[in-house]
This record gives sequence, C-alpha cells and structure tokens, in this order.
Amino acid sequence: MTLLSLSASAGEALALGFATGPVCVATCGPVVLPWILAQPGGVRGHSRQLGLFLGARLAGYLLFGAAVWLAGAAIPRAWTGRSWLLGAVQVLLALSLAAFATGWPRRRRAVAGQSQPLVQIGAQPASPPRGALALGFLTGINFCPPFLVAGVRAAQLASLSASLLFFAVFFVGTAVWFLPFLSLGLVRRTPAVVTVARIAAILLACWYGFSGLLILIERIVYG
Amino acid sequence: MRKRWLAVAGYVGAALTLAIAALVPFVLMGGITQAVAHAGLRVDEVYTGGTVARSFTRNGYLVSVYEPVQPRLLQRGGPFVQVVFSPASGLPSNVDELIDLDGDGQPDVRVRFAVPGDARASLHGAVQALNSRYRSVEPIGADSFTQLLARTGDRIVLRIPLAPRR
Amino acid sequence: MASSSVPVRPAAFRGVGRSLLLTLPMALWSLLMFTPAFLHASGVARASGAVVAVFMTALFYQMMRTGTTYRWRRYFFVALGMLFPVGFIAALLAARGSMSIPIERMVSGDTPFCFMVIPMLIVPAALTRTLVFPGSILPTASNPHSIAVMIGLWLAMTLVLGKAWCAYACFFGGIEEGFAAFPKRAKIRSLDPRLRLVPWAVLLAVVLLSAALFEPVYCTWLCPFKTVTEFAAVRNVETAAQMAIFVALFLVLVVALPLLTKKRTQCGFFCPFGAFQSLFNKINVFEIRFDRQKCVDCGLCLHACPTMAITAESVHEGKTLLNCMKCGACVDSCKKDAAVWHVKGTPLTAKPERARLLFLYGAWAMATMFGGSVLANSLATMIHFVIPK
Repeated sequence: MTLLSLSASAGEALALGFATGPVCVATCGPVVLPWILAQPGGVRGHSRQLGLFLGARLAGYLLFGAAVWLAGAAIPRAWTGRSWLLGAVQVLLALSLAAFATGWPRRRRAVAGQSQPLVQIGAQPASPPRGALALGFLTGINFCPPFLVAGVRAAQLASLSASLLFFAVFFVGTAVWFLPFLSLGLVRRTPAVVTVARIAAILLACWYGFSGLLILIERIVYG
Repeated sequence: MRKRWLAVAGYVGAALTLAIAALVPFVLMGGITQAVAHAGLRVDEVYTGGTVARSFTRNGYLVSVYEPVQPRLLQRGGPFVQVVFSPASGLPSNVDELIDLDGDGQPDVRVRFAVPGDARASLHGAVQALNSRYRSVEPIGADSFTQLLARTGDRIVLRIPLAPRR
Repeated sequence: MASSSVPVRPAAFRGVGRSLLLTLPMALWSLLMFTPAFLHASGVARASGAVVAVFMTALFYQMMRTGTTYRWRRYFFVALGMLFPVGFIAALLAARGSMSIPIERMVSGDTPFCFMVIPMLIVPAALTRTLVFPGSILPTASNPHSIAVMIGLWLAMTLVLGKAWCAYACFFGGIEEGFAAFPKRAKIRSLDPRLRLVPWAVLLAVVLLSAALFEPVYCTWLCPFKTVTEFAAVRNVETAAQMAIFVALFLVLVVALPLLTKKRTQCGFFCPFGAFQSLFNKINVFEIRFDRQKCVDCGLCLHACPTMAITAESVHEGKTLLNCMKCGACVDSCKKDAAVWHVKGTPLTAKPERARLLFLYGAWAMATMFGGSVLANSLATMIHFVIPK
C-alpha cells in the first residue's frame, strides 16, 4: 500500500471517528461516567484511569479490525450474527459493570500474621482502577453503528496492518470526544458521590443486561 | 457589619420570594411559558414526523410527503418517511396509491388501506416497496413510531420504514 | 413520626384574633384564585371552588393558631395525592374511554406534559434543541397541558418553593404520605442511610440513558405513577413489561413500604425528580436549622423526617441535608425548639416564627393556586359521579 493511500485512509478514518464520536460517547458514556465518578478524584488520576480505559477500548477496536479483515468480507449492517454478539457483549458489559459497582471480587487483604515489609522504598505501586480493562475492552467491541461502518471500510483495505491502522486512527477520532470526561476529576469525591456513582452503575448494568437479554431472546424467538 | 448585610440580603431574598409567589399566576408563569415557546425548541421528529417536503392534491384530499427522519444517536427504531392524507373525511373508502417519496418522479411505494366510517376504528393496510430504499410492511397498523398507520383527528398518518443501508 | 403525635407546642400557640389576622392574606388569595370558578363556571364548580378555598384557608388558620405546620400541610397534601388521580382518570375515561394512551395521540402531540420529565429533557435539548417528549409545545384544544405551559408553571413555582415542591405541590407525593400515615408505628424502623442516595443515582442513570437513547427513559420504564395516570397502550411484550414494572414499583414503593416504614419511600429513596428539585434548595432562602445550644441530640427529628433528610452528623452541623423538603415534621416534633425555620443569612436566634411565616405565605400561596385548583377540579368530578352534568 502506498504512503499516499495509507494517509488517505488514515484521514478517512480520523474524519469518520470524529464525526461519529458522539454516538460512541452515547454508547459508552453511561458506562464511563459512573465508573469514573466512583474512582478517586483529581485530574491527573483521571488521566491515568481514562488512559487505561481507552487503552483497553483500543485493544477491542484492534481485535475487531483484525477480525473483519481476516474474515475477508465486509460485515454488512444486516449481518444476522451481529445481534448475537451485540447481545452477548451487552450482557457481559452489564456483569462487569455490576461487578465493579459491588466491588466483586474483593481484593485479597493481608493475611493475619504475614509480615509487612519493614521498609517501604518509594511509593507503593498503585493498583489499576477496578474495571478499567474489562469495561474498556467490552465497550471497545460493543457494536455501535459507527463501529460497523468503520468495519465495512476496514475490511476493504489491502492488508491486515492497513485495517489495524484504520481502526487505530478511527479510535483516535472517537477518543477525542472522551476528553471532557477528564473534567470529572474536578468533582469532589465525597463518600456520597462515590456511592451515587456505584448505585448508578448498578442501575445502568441492569439496563445493559436487560437490553442484551432482549436482543438474545428476540434472536432465539424470531431467528 | 458583614453579618448585618447578610441578614438584610436574607430578608430581601425572602421578600423577593413572596413577591415572585404573588406574581406567579398573573405574570411569571405566562412569561416563562412564552419564553419556552419561543426558545427555538421543537418536539423530536420521531414523534412529529418531521417537516413537509412536498404535497400532491388528489381528488378531495391532499397527500403530504415529509422529509425522512433519521434516528439520533442510539434512538430506538429505524429511519422512516411520514406521509399524511388529509382530510380523512375526503378519502375514498379504500385507498390504493403509488407515492413518490424522494421526489425523483418515480413511485417508490404502493400503499393500500381501508378507511372505516368510524373515526375511532383501527386502521390496517399494506405498504409495498417498489425499490430497495424502502421496506415493505404488510400488514401495517399502529405498530410503533417508525412503522405506523393511524388516524389522528381528521388525518391519516402513515410512516414507511427505510431499508437499512448496505 | 410526628404524624399522630400531639404537637409539642401548646394547643393554642397564638390567639384567635392574631391567627385570623395572619390568615386574612391567605383567605384573600384563595378568593382570588377561585374567582374564575365563582364567576364563570357551573354550580358544581362554584361549590367545589368554595369548599377548597375554605379548606385551604382553614388549614392555614390552624397553622397560625397552633404554631405547627406538618399535620395541617399533610391534610392538604394527602387530599391532593388521593384526589388528583380521580380527576385525571375521569378526564381520560371521558375523552377516550381508557387510561392507556394510544400511539395516535402521541403522534399528534396530545400527551399531557408531566414535570417529572424535565431532568431528562435538558441534555438532548441542549445538544439538539429537541424535546424528547410526544407532546406539543403550545397548548391546543385537546392538550392544554402543553410543554411550555407546564415548564412555565414548574419553573415559576420552583423559584418560590425549591425542594418544597415535594411537600406543597407534587400531586403524587400525597399518595404515599397518606399510606405512611395509616399505621401507628413503623414495622421497619431501621433503614440503610445509603437509600437516600438512590434518587441521585436514578437521576444520573436516567439522564445518561435519556441523552443516549433520546427518549424519556424514566417515563417509559420506571415511573410508578403511570399506574394512576396514563401509560402507553399495551400492545406487545415490551409495553407489557413496562406496565408490569410500573405496577410493581407502585405497589412496593408507594403502598407497601410507606405502610411498613412510615416514610415516603418513593420520594425519598427513588424519585429522580426529587433529587433534581433538591438542587434548587441551593438558591432558596428558606431552610430548617438546628440550634446547637438547645439541641439535646434526642433524635426525634431524625425519626420524624419522612425522607431521611436529617442525620446525626447533619444535626451536629446544625442543618438538614440538601433533600429537605421543608415539610416541618422535624420542627413540630422537637421538644426543645432546637429545630427552627430559618432565612439564610439571618442569625439563627432571629425569630424563627417570622421565618416560618415568610416561608408559609409563599408556599401556601403556591399550594392553593396549583394544588387547590386540582382539588377543586377533582371534587367537581366526584360530585358529577353522583349528580350527572
């Protein structure tokens, strides 16, 4: 693939990502917002949290980019298998969100009698924010309409690396719309705010679970 | 001194609240209503059907074709085109129409429905798509916002779903 | 709860003459509000208007005479909650023979606007200038409760009431307040304090989902009061599921839990509109405060509050939580006069009765204007059941 055609498709991916970013925010926003509100605050901390989330989301994008190219054919919007995957992803998303919100599984506490280090050199490494990887990845493979449009386009490209590049640049275009979530770092993290965010996450988990189950049931009933 | 000013401000606020209460039914409510009405807001097109694109006069009634309505963000239901037949009282007892929806001079759908004498009776009909841009629906009734045949007042509202783009 | 307890103040807080004098402005206001009914309407409407005007004035007089608020406000509020559905349902049955709203009416913009939708409209309207509600912006012959009219009414009244909307205006809250008043003692006494945060979580969730899906999610899926007003016609599995959820939520949150806890469980532990309305307490000048010099931390106020808007910590800080709806239950239950009405900015020791009067004139004016007219309309409807038009 020539450099010119590569840059042309990258430009196309960026424009597509940026144009359809609001839809991605609408799809993922109900997951991200309560999750990020339940994390410790601070703009710097949020940058790390959001970075991990978006990184996992990128992994989902790239996985899909590879899959559509390897499938060797465009995945039309009317592809009937899409709804199985969509339903399953939404149910998994619901379970992940509910697990994060309820704090399951509990982190292992120090066993009684086990000695703590006498000297702690440097800061204790911070554990990754709960749910970042699972939620990020699952939202990354949640088939929203722009995702499929990008998939159709990427599948037509000449090589696997071109498809991956297309999806990576498409991701950048959509990720720009998530930057305003950093401002949530300014919200003071009182126990009430964290509790509200967790309860909201449970409610939204119910919604995604219900929505996913409905899709699966409709597929089973109507074929 | 500061405490005094705060107290004054508090009582001024209380007095203002009472004044607002007295004005609510006479001025305030109407004023805010007018402000909302002129704020440039509109009801979502999924409910209203959008804006009229073109109209055709038939024998005793008017057929109005609306601009296509696309769902926003993750709005449920697909895109559709609304067609309105009015007045319903001017329609024949059986309507069988070829309608050009996109203004290219070619009919896009064939629409058939019966118009019952009782204005409260449900409507049932059929839409046959003549090209791939639209979806046939048979039977069609008061199904959903995006696939609909219903009577509202003295109008018959028909919503024809657009086929998914490939 | 202070519901059936004797007011801690002497039965006569104020003499008859002074009470009448203080009631006079409210009596005049009631006359003014019901003048259209007196001048133009039928005999039944005139009678209903007169009964309600006297009712509201009498309750205000009792507030002046006894120095208490909660019990008298509750008579009005429960009457409103119980009678509003009567008038509303009767009007629906007369107009279309059913409580269900068919899609035809939604498409023609005939859905009456309910203020509970307001929080869900904001983000879509801000982004696209679109209102995600199947109503009409301006009033029509078939839909006088248009979007602009109801938003105008809500905003104007909220400027006066703030969160007190939930105690003086909401025509749904009185239903569960009525059920909560029935039992002498609560069967469930201890409630998880985190429950008071659920309305905020519901608000966050429905605002996010409504913005994403461009539909009023709370109204289509979660509103318990669909059970006593109107709902989308049941015609498929989805609408049947919605109806089942409405009925279940109503039976649990509005009937069963208030009977068991003597709390307003729907309002305090679920309603997202209540959480939204709490934000207006920030700009409202009236509040309830606790005088730490007099308070003995007996906890009576805590138990009296119908929506758990008071915690031990907040009492130590001398104030209620943001979701205080100024119903007066805590003030009336306090034996030490430590819980007081207060105008922000003024000294805590300034006359609390003055603050209460200033608040009540505004709040009761709104209650009479809005709730009173609903009561009169419902009363006329009930009379017409017996005496046909």
